[in-house]
Amino acid sequence: MSNLKKKINNMNLVRFRFWFQIVAFLLIVYGGYIGFDLGDKLPTFACVYNSDGTGGKCYLGMLQHDLNHHWETFLGFAGYAFSISLGMFIVWFWLLNKAWCGFVCPLGTMQDWITAFRKKLKIRFSQYDWSSRAKIKSIKWILLILLLIIPVMISNSVFGLPTLPNGLSMPFCDICPGRMLIPAFTGDFGQFYIDFSSKTEIVMTTLGMIIVGLFLVGSFIKKRFFCYFCPMAALQYTFSKPALLKLYKDGSKCTKCGDCYRACDMDILEIADDVTSKNLVTEDCTLCLKCVAACPEEGCLEANFVGKTIFESTKEGFIIRMAMDKKRELNEQH
Amino acid sequence: MSNIERTIETPKEKQNRHKAMEAIKVINSIKDDFKSPIESMNYFYDLFERVYCKNESLHNDKTKVGTMCIQIPSEIIYALDGVPIRLCNGFYTDDEIGSDLLPQKACPLVKATVGHFASNNFIDKPDIVFSPTTCDQKTKAGTIIRNYGFKVIDVDFPRTKESEGSREYWRKSIKQFAVELSKFKNKKLTKSNLEASIKKIGYAQSLYHKLSEYRKEEILPILGLDMFLITNAFFFDKIDSWTEAMEILLKEMKIRVDKKITVAGKRSPRIVFTGSPPIFPNYKIPLIIEQSDALIVADETCSSNRMFNDMVAVDEWNLYDMIDSISDKYLKACTCPIFTTNDDRIRRIIDLVKNYKADAVIYQAFAGCTVYEMEQRSVLEAMEKAGIAILYIESDYSPSQQGQLSTRIEAFVESIKNRRRRKK
Repeated sequence: MSNLKKKINNMNLVRFRFWFQIVAFLLIVYGGYIGFDLGDKLPTFACVYNSDGTGGKCYLGMLQHDLNHHWETFLGFAGYAFSISLGMFIVWFWLLNKAWCGFVCPLGTMQDWITAFRKKLKIRFSQYDWSSRAKIKSIKWILLILLLIIPVMISNSVFGLPTLPNGLSMPFCDICPGRMLIPAFTGDFGQFYIDFSSKTEIVMTTLGMIIVGLFLVGSFIKKRFFCYFCPMAALQYTFSKPALLKLYKDGSKCTKCGDCYRACDMDILEIADDVTSKNLVTEDCTLCLKCVAACPEEGCLEANFVGKTIFESTKEGFIIRMAMDKKRELNEQH
Repeated sequence: MSNIERTIETPKEKQNRHKAMEAIKVINSIKDDFKSPIESMNYFYDLFERVYCKNESLHNDKTKVGTMCIQIPSEIIYALDGVPIRLCNGFYTDDEIGSDLLPQKACPLVKATVGHFASNNFIDKPDIVFSPTTCDQKTKAGTIIRNYGFKVIDVDFPRTKESEGSREYWRKSIKQFAVELSKFKNKKLTKSNLEASIKKIGYAQSLYHKLSEYRKEEILPILGLDMFLITNAFFFDKIDSWTEAMEILLKEMKIRVDKKITVAGKRSPRIVFTGSPPIFPNYKIPLIIEQSDALIVADETCSSNRMFNDMVAVDEWNLYDMIDSISDKYLKACTCPIFTTNDDRIRRIIDLVKNYKADAVIYQAFAGCTVYEMEQRSVLEAMEKAGIAILYIESDYSPSQQGQLSTRIEAFVESIKNRRRRKK
C-alpha cells in the first residue's frame, strides 16, 4: 500500500490530468453515441445544445428552465421538480467537488488545450494583479444572480416590474461559449449565428458570438480565462463546504514559498499565504491539484477524499516533477 | 645561526597566518573531539583547510560574483557562467580589522566582511559584488566596500513581503540584476542555460534535503557542526565537487543509519539552532553546544537551512517565468528578521522542533545584529506558549567569553536532560 501511495505522490500530475481530461471530454461530448449518459444535472459545462451524442448535460440549462414558471406552479409541482434537480446536482457535485472544473469540464479542458498551444509557441501567459482579481471575483456572482432571476421574471412580475420577453428564457446559455463550441466538436456548427427574430434574440446571440471570441482570445493570453467569470463556479462554491473531495492545507508546514501560487492557473493567493485555514477550496479553485504537485513541503497540501489522503505533496515528488533528481552538467559546456 | 634567513612578515601574511590559526583550530575540534567521525566528511575538512590555511584558490579561471546575502540568486549566476561567492565572513581576524572602520556597536559579521575588503586579501577575489539591501548594516557595508575600489551593485530588496507591490519591486530588481550581470559577463541569459542551472541547484538542494532526513533519526548519524561546514562550503566550493562529496556522504549516512552508528551520547538533548548565522570559523556557540553533549538536529539560519530549504518551482519554463519564480522564492519564502512581520520564522522554528523531535531551541544573536536582538523577545514568547525550552545567547566573534558561555550552555543542556529524566 505504501508503495502505491509513493507512486501516486510521485506521479506526473500534468500528464495524468491531460489524459483524464481527454477521456472526460470524449465521454461528455460523444458518450451518447455509446449509450453513456449521466443525465442533465451535471455540475459542468456539458452542453444541452449538443443534442446528438452528449454523455450528460450541464445543470445550468436545467436550472434556468426550472425557474421559468409562474409562482403558483412553482409552489406546486414545478418547485418539487426543481428541488429534485437541485438535489441531484448537489449529489453529483459533492462527489467530486470542484474537480468537475479541473478534470471534467469541457470548456476548462479546451482552455487548457489553448494554453498548451500557447506554450508551444513559447508565448508567455499574463496574470491579473491582485486588485483586479478581487474586482473580477464578483462578476460570476452577478452572472449567477441574473441567471436565477431572469427566468423567474419571464413568467412573473417581480417587484411590480413588467415581465421579460420569452427570448430570455435561457439567458446564460445564450451567452455561454459552450453552446457554440461543444456542439462544434460533433460537427454541428449551427450555433454560430445571430438570431434576427426579435430584438432580444439579436442582442443575446450577438453577445454570445462576442463572448466566444473573447473566450478564444482570452484563454490564449490568460490561463483558465473564462473560469474567473463562470457562474457555475459560483453556484458550486455555494455547496462546496460539505463536499467529499477536499483540498487541505497544513499551515504549520507551509514556508509561504509561493510555489503553489505560481502553479495556480487561477492565481489564488490564499493557497500560499493562508496558513490558518485547513480547507483551501476557494470560490475560484478548480481543484486541478497543480498546487499540490508544485508544493515542495512534505504533506503540506493534500487532496482528501472522505477523510482519506489520496494525493499529497512530498519533497520527492516535487523533485521528480521538476526534473531536479538528476545531476546536470552545466559549466562543462564551455 | 647565520644561515637562517629572516624575513619580516607582511601585514597580509600576518592576517593569513591568524586566519589559518582560527580555521585549523575549529577544523581540528570538529575532526577530533567527537566520537565516530564520518569518513566522507574529510572532503569538507580538507576543503576548508585548503582554502583557509593553505590559501588555495578554487576558481582561478572563472568570473567570481560576490554576494552579500542569500537573496542573490545563484541560479542566474551559474546560468551566466559565473561562480557565486558568498562574502559573509566569520573570521575574528577580519572582524578586528573592520572594528577600526565601523562603529563599535556594529555587527561582527559586517565588520569582518568590511575588514576583509579593507585588507584586500582574498583567496578568490570577487570580480563584481552584488549587495541586496537587506539589513541596514549590510546595506551600508555595500557602500563602504565600494569606496575600497570594488565594483559593487546594489540590488533593491523590499522589507515587507506580503504586498503585491514589494513582490513586483523585487522581481524588477532581479531582472535588473540579471541584466547587470549579463552585461558584465557579456553573455546572454537564455531559457536553456537558466533552466539547466535551476535544475542543477535543485539537485544540490535535493541532496541537502536527503541529508536532512537523516537528522530526523532517533539515532543521530551526523553532527550539527558537520552540517554547518557542508552548507558553508556551498558559499565558495565548486558546485560539482560539492554535489559529488554529498553523494558520497549520503551513501555513508545510509550505512551509518543501518548500522546504528551515532555521534550522540545516550541522553544527548536535541537542539534546534537559530538566530545570527554561524559562518566558518565562527562556530563558537555550536561548538560549545555539541561539546556539552547536546546535538544540533536542525537550524533556522541563513547560513544553512534557510539557504537550502526552499526550491524553485516553475510552471512554464519560459525565461521570464523562471526569473519570476526565482525572485518569488528568494523573497516570499525568506524568513529573515529584517521583514516587518516575522510570524513565518516562528512557525518555521516550531515546525523544525516538531519534525526533528528537538528538545529545545538555542537562539544566538551577534551583539550588534539589531534585527535578531530585537525580535528575540517575540520568539521567546512564542516558544514559551508552545512549551518549548529556549536559551538566548548574545555573542560576538571574540574568543574571550568562552568560560561564561560554556557555563550557561552546559547548565541549559543539563536542565534539558533533567527535564527528560523527569518525563520518563
